[in-house]
Amino acid sequence: MDNKKYFHALQILEDNCTGCTACVRVCPTEAIRVRDRKAHIDPNRCVDCGECIFACQFHAIIPRSDPLDLIHNFKYKVAIISTSYFGQFTEDISYEVAKQALYELGFDDVQEEAMVTEFMVKVIQNYIRANRDKRPIISSNCPTVVRLIQLKYPSLLPNLFHLEAPMSILTRYLREKIQEEKGLKEDDIGIFLIVPCAAHVTAVHQPEGAYKHLQDGAFSIGMIYGKVREHIKNLQNNPPQIATYPKGLTWALSGVQAELVDCEDIRALSVNGVENVMEILSRVEDHYLDQYDYIVMRSCTNGCVGGCFNVENPFVAMSRIKKMIKEGENGEVDIHELEELYDEGEFDVAPLTPRPIMELDTDIKAAIRKMKQLNEILTSLPGLNCSACGSPSCYALAEDIVLGKATIEDCVVLLKRHSKEDEQDPQQK
Amino acid sequence: MRDFAAARSEMAEYWHIRLGLEDPVKKFFSQAPEADVTLEADIPEKDFNSAGRGSAEVKNLLKRLGVDPEVLRRVAVAAYEAEINVAAHSLGGSMTSNIHPELIHMVFQDNGPGIADIEQAMIPGFSTADEMVRELGFGAGLGLPNIQKNADALHISSEKGDSTCLEIIIYFKNDGQ
Ligand code: SF4
Ligand code: SF4
Repeated sequence: MDNKKYFHALQILEDNCTGCTACVRVCPTEAIRVRDRKAHIDPNRCVDCGECIFACQFHAIIPRSDPLDLIHNFKYKVAIISTSYFGQFTEDISYEVAKQALYELGFDDVQEEAMVTEFMVKVIQNYIRANRDKRPIISSNCPTVVRLIQLKYPSLLPNLFHLEAPMSILTRYLREKIQEEKGLKEDDIGIFLIVPCAAHVTAVHQPEGAYKHLQDGAFSIGMIYGKVREHIKNLQNNPPQIATYPKGLTWALSGVQAELVDCEDIRALSVNGVENVMEILSRVEDHYLDQYDYIVMRSCTNGCVGGCFNVENPFVAMSRIKKMIKEGENGEVDIHELEELYDEGEFDVAPLTPRPIMELDTDIKAAIRKMKQLNEILTSLPGLNCSACGSPSCYALAEDIVLGKATIEDCVVLLKRHSKEDEQDPQQK
Repeated sequence: MRDFAAARSEMAEYWHIRLGLEDPVKKFFSQAPEADVTLEADIPEKDFNSAGRGSAEVKNLLKRLGVDPEVLRRVAVAAYEAEINVAAHSLGGSMTSNIHPELIHMVFQDNGPGIADIEQAMIPGFSTADEMVRELGFGAGLGLPNIQKNADALHISSEKGDSTCLEIIIYFKNDGQ
């Protein structure tokens, strides 16, 4: 594992943190420990799933995204919107208005993830057919899922779909196209994502497998929401005429996306929610799900509509987007330029490296010794899994002790028992 | 009927050892070394909600030891199938996983009722291994063949009216070293 510090789009506000350990207990990779009454995140283990953000009642863990002012550093400013954005508004607000409002924020160009959905579906189907030896293929769109696989299921790295996610594909395409058409230098163009979750912010700042410069920043849907709403109010009297891509909005909905790829010779499965994703990954690892050709995996409920930056409930947002898909008609999308770039291999990603976190030691015999030690420690711990020590479970504390990250004195329950014994002892004598 | 059977034979036994591993396997069983790490799990009867927990635990443990993913998969599959077998076809039982420096030895011990049709299972002529294994009382499921496919060594012994014990050995390295 390289020692490069891993960037994460999460911040702990120490002043707010009470050390309650709610976050410690929900983290799927056991990345959080409370030490000295404050929560700390191990950057090598965090996968930006956002579970801890939802769990903290004290608003001590907050997702970060870039400040909107960043766009002023660039001559030409481009926004690429995640499809989940369009599920955030009441139904009296039209798709066109919601999209136009983004121009009003100061962007010169606004493009949608939804634009390339159809292209993506084709490319995914081709990839699945061309790689019959790998089953199932796992979608690579959700950065949390990609990182989970690197950390906990590295044997599945070859199963990941080996192309950039739609917003990155659009980025590559637009960067070239705008340079050509507008006669601008690469550095003059700022390309930004408007994203539904912290994982996408991390992916922008620390892309996995990217060959070259992708985006220049990521803005949270929640952060721009207030400003967007103001612009929407003004725009509603005078609705704009701009192209929209309702049929492509499927991308934000894990189930609907899987249905699009599913066809006569391709069987697709859709999974969402980080617990479900982990269970399915474990079964894929054991080859129990080889009957599927493709598995769409999203860490958030229902897909990207469940991301922590959204303002609307994921089920309501999903229902709104489904309505738009049903009622809308797509604008023209010319995909032949995209296809050319695809043929040239422009959208390929580098093979990802494993970042194993589970191993006690790289040498199996040493690992067994540590495991033996771990088990011995475990038998002396109370087995309450109370997390009062700041580790997620007694097992995790034992592991922390073996790895030199904690001591047995961290166990509050043992400490109490010992001090009681000490109190009683003199009386008995 | 019962007495007669008891008088004749009480044990049914089945062995399968992957080619080339006979020596290390025999040595292991004769020396019966003490395990470095042991993991125990209960397998309640007909409880398909919790059947699979033991194999999941073993898998997590082996991941912590950095066992090769392909070996890990074989252990996970063999353990899972064996666990389901116990849950489905017996009165419940237990699973013990013994970790040694070069191998994992898993023991699935059930609480009976043992192999119902032991006389029939022992009739000569039930020669092909798979058929015999199936007649040992594990039903027609894919379980046992799947276990055998993934195991380096498989040993089943059953006492009539009593319990069945299934043992699996999987080496961490292909050559059994
Ligand atoms: S949930 Fe975590 S971050 Fe929030 S107060 Fe509790 S310990 Fe601190
Ligand atoms: S974002 Fe997810 S993986 Fe990261 S610390 Fe929070 S709960 Fe753990």
